[in-house]
Amino acid sequence: MSRADKKFLKVSGLTKSFGTGDTKQDVLKGIDFTVAKGEFCVLLGPSGSGKSTLLNILGGIDSADKGEILIAGDKLSAMNEKGLTNYRRKHLGYVFQMYNLIPNLNVKENIETGAYLSDSPLDIDELLKTLGLYEHRHKLPNQLSGGQQQRVSIGRAIVKNPDLLLCDEPTGALDYTTSKEILQLIEEINQKYGNTIIMVTHNEAIKLMADHVIKLRDGKIRHDDMNTKKITAAELEW
Amino acid sequence: MENEIKNGARCKNPLRKRVWRDCLRDWKRYLMIFLMLVLTIAFVSGMYVANNSMEHSLAESVDTYAREDGHFELSSEADAELLSALEKGEQADVAVILRERAYKEAEGEVEKAVRDAIKENIEESVASAIEQQVKEKIYSASAETENAMTDEQKEEMFKKALSAAMDENYDKAVKEALEKAYDSDEYKDALEDGLEEAKKKIDEEIDEKIGEAKENYELDANAVPVPVNIYELFYKELDERINSDASYEGTVRVYIDRDKVDRYDILEGKAPQNADEIAIDRMHADNKKLKVGDSLIVGGKEFKICGLIALVDYTTLFESNTDTMFNALTFDVGVMTKEGYDGLNSSEHKNYAFRYTEKPSDEIEEKEKSDSFLKVLISQTAVSEEEQEIKEYVPAYLSEAINFATDDMGNDKAMGGVLLYILTAVLAFIFAVTISTTLEKEASVIGTLRASGYTKGELVRYYMSAPLIIGVFAAIVGNILGYTVFKDIIVGMYRASYSLPSYKTLWTSEAFIRTTIIPIAIMLIINLIVIVYSLRLTPLRFLRHDLKRSRRKKAIRLPRWKFFSRFRMRVFLQNIPNYIMLFVGITFVMVLLSMAVGMPTTLSSYKESVDEMMFADHQIILTSTKDSDGNVIETNSEGAERFSMVSLNYKRKGFTEEVMVYGSEEGSRYIKLDKGYFGSGSNAVYVSKAFADKYDIKKDDMIDLSEKYENKDYRWRVYDIFDYSAGIAVFMSNDMFRSEFGKKEGYFTGYFTDEEITDIDEKYIAKVITSDDVAKIANQLDNSLGAYMSYFQYLCVIISAAVLYLLTKIIIEKNERSISMVKILGYRDGEISSLYMITTALVTIITELISLYLGYIFMKSYWRSMLMELGGWFEFKMTASGFVKEFVMVFIAYLIITVFDFIRIKKIPKVLALKNTE
Repeated sequence: MSRADKKFLKVSGLTKSFGTGDTKQDVLKGIDFTVAKGEFCVLLGPSGSGKSTLLNILGGIDSADKGEILIAGDKLSAMNEKGLTNYRRKHLGYVFQMYNLIPNLNVKENIETGAYLSDSPLDIDELLKTLGLYEHRHKLPNQLSGGQQQRVSIGRAIVKNPDLLLCDEPTGALDYTTSKEILQLIEEINQKYGNTIIMVTHNEAIKLMADHVIKLRDGKIRHDDMNTKKITAAELEW
Repeated sequence: MENEIKNGARCKNPLRKRVWRDCLRDWKRYLMIFLMLVLTIAFVSGMYVANNSMEHSLAESVDTYAREDGHFELSSEADAELLSALEKGEQADVAVILRERAYKEAEGEVEKAVRDAIKENIEESVASAIEQQVKEKIYSASAETENAMTDEQKEEMFKKALSAAMDENYDKAVKEALEKAYDSDEYKDALEDGLEEAKKKIDEEIDEKIGEAKENYELDANAVPVPVNIYELFYKELDERINSDASYEGTVRVYIDRDKVDRYDILEGKAPQNADEIAIDRMHADNKKLKVGDSLIVGGKEFKICGLIALVDYTTLFESNTDTMFNALTFDVGVMTKEGYDGLNSSEHKNYAFRYTEKPSDEIEEKEKSDSFLKVLISQTAVSEEEQEIKEYVPAYLSEAINFATDDMGNDKAMGGVLLYILTAVLAFIFAVTISTTLEKEASVIGTLRASGYTKGELVRYYMSAPLIIGVFAAIVGNILGYTVFKDIIVGMYRASYSLPSYKTLWTSEAFIRTTIIPIAIMLIINLIVIVYSLRLTPLRFLRHDLKRSRRKKAIRLPRWKFFSRFRMRVFLQNIPNYIMLFVGITFVMVLLSMAVGMPTTLSSYKESVDEMMFADHQIILTSTKDSDGNVIETNSEGAERFSMVSLNYKRKGFTEEVMVYGSEEGSRYIKLDKGYFGSGSNAVYVSKAFADKYDIKKDDMIDLSEKYENKDYRWRVYDIFDYSAGIAVFMSNDMFRSEFGKKEGYFTGYFTDEEITDIDEKYIAKVITSDDVAKIANQLDNSLGAYMSYFQYLCVIISAAVLYLLTKIIIEKNERSISMVKILGYRDGEISSLYMITTALVTIITELISLYLGYIFMKSYWRSMLMELGGWFEFKMTASGFVKEFVMVFIAYLIITVFDFIRIKKIPKVLALKNTE
């Protein structure tokens, strides 16, 4: 991993607060970290630690009060709304806890909504096979299980082969088995397509499959460690 | 690893596929909006196409059928000299011509008078001289004679000698003396003096006679001539009777078949060829169910209807140009052969049509030309050898018979356009509210798409697709229906009112722009604004379902009502935007309903009260107050009372109202003016209630009226309002009437009577005004619009049902999850319906009540503005039962929709509340 790669994502001095006066609440109190290209980074922390806010700021759908984010050399704070949209369009993939699929588009078409945004999207049929959804490609979201729906939403995010895949509690609404399946899928995608992945979770077990673990509490980074004893998702237990 | 990655081609936007699915998923709502748009667009587009085609064919008919540029009626037939002068179009210098004519007459008269005087003088002198000579001769002879004569002998001799001398010398001497006298300077001086005095008198008289007219009409002998062609268009007006309807009493105006001017389109049958044939107006024939081949009794004679025609100068059957409304029910026009016409026993109206030899290029020039020609007409008839009076002068651009249909079509188009735009706007808002509800429902998806990199523009375009598709399809289908089915319906409607020639369907860009481009634009703009406004929020707010513009910190506190009441209040507060739309929609419907329900009520109440409003059952206007023997026309009819009347103009911006000015005696049994008024001796008048209502005239206001064919103005103070609603009228004392209008003592115009007058020869009766004449406005409006009003009422119910359906659907959809949740909690369907539906029911009822009032107010002012452009006045009326009917109609629509709503609530599954948002 080159030095430039190491600095694919650089966050420095990030602060964010909500409200004003007495009701003012500091959510992020000076966050600094870097993420290398292709790295699988997990943001861990309890509810209210600021991890989702941090992810949203990284995704350009929320803004920081102070601090800087550099992604592949591009400064996020220098971008206007149009620039941010374009940034998300070209470089980002988003996976949420709720799948947010379009109800009257089938599996393939839902994935196509992501593919449309890229000039050179991944081959959809091959991706469907990777996602294990090829047989279900003509089904509507309401004909799928929760895990299958989350696969579709991952497919939608990954189909444009983004540089950065942001996952906000992707297994939060899923059972143990399905959660493991989804984590295995994310792992496979990381390996196959080499995307940088930042995943927000409160599930401590997941840190074991990550390259990089950042622990947040009260808006501050408490630990920023590289995981040298990485295990596969299949081996995870909780 | 990266080598294994296989890339595909860039895909098309999959959201496009979704557009169709969205439409299908919500097909009921879209279908409803689609159908309403289609119907409105079809109706309005049909109206535009029909109107444009008709207007075009009417415009063409000006040349095709050689339509007049105007007509005038004279008191007697014009001689060749007058006609030729009129055709030249030059104004006569009335003063110069009359003066020359008078001078010439005066010269002869003065010379004759002087000569007569000289002759008389000379004759006297000669006679006296001869007598003197003879006397001297006799008496000197008697003195020379020895035998003196007695006095008797002398006298005898003198007489003989005088007679002999007179016979011998008188004529010769008178002649010689006259010759000498005529040659003398004295004679010449006398002649000159006489002429001078006569001319002075003539000048004074002429100046007095025409000075005022000259000033008023700016008669100018140097004006640019307005050459015209003049055509005789004499007519006779006779009673019309039909065999099939004994109670029918109509009037037909009969012309000799025309070939040079004001020709006609034969819509059925043929032109008259035999003396017993008549071709009559198609519209009137339709109204009286007369067909080709039927017989028609004209002035007591039976004729066969040979053709149904549309005369180019009678596209609307106006009996008189000053009538408030046309009358195709009891007024008819027809043409027949000369033999047939000559056989009709009635006085002939000496009517002439004229056409400019050089066509005016626009209406302004037409007005200038017609004003100039009026001056020509006034000046030339003034100098005409035979005494002529202008009975009527109607330039084509002011002719109601010619223009009313075109104007009405223009107004209909404007009105139809406005209705279309309002309804489109209402539908567009409903659409927009629907979309904004959808946006709320799909907030997570929108947030995700925006977070994934979809631009606002892409989403705006996507959400705009449905309104665009619905709008475009509705416009296409609406236009097709408009050009086919609805055009024929509209043409049918116009044919029920107007005598229109045949037409060709015309494709105009105007109809396309107004019925397609503009409604689609309205639809798109309103939706665009709402969608762009809704999508302005950040992706994060969509993801968090945080879409309220202003986030209320606290919920509104409600009083300590029962739970159900508070729940309903919450439903109301949550749906305020929808209820606003409901209010707008229902108000729109109520305005239409006010017209549909109020118009027939207004007309029938007017018709019913006309008898009471008339101050006399018959108002007989005489052609002359003296018969051919010079005796004043009297009647023995009981209660008949003389009255005086003139008609003046009340000029308003863009419209001139005809005002009847009546002179009344104190103690009149028909026009009962206050006794105090007669005593006051003031220069004040009463105005009729209709006049006062229409123009908001109050006691002590000043009113300005002017003569029709002169520029003479009158200014009077309003003494009081006279309770007379059947016409626009002014009342004054007979004394004031005579002094204002320069009439002599004993002047009158006709008789008021409650009994029918039978002892006045018909030829002296110009017109009899009865309640039927006054009610004919209402009858005609009723006949041409009344039938459509009931259809209109049903249409309003359908529109209100559609609006209510669309909006209540949104309200229930918004609350689907909550409804599902309360079902889980154990609420019954009935309870849930009462929670969600009673709120809407209450809002509907309150909205109805408010919009009932608003609709009434709107119609009242619309009615006023409509009648402002028509002569006459009667107020827009709505009875209590009319209000109830309106209310019930909309409420029935609501009740029908309630059934759908109830079913919809019942169908909401309990699991919905437990499912994910998607």
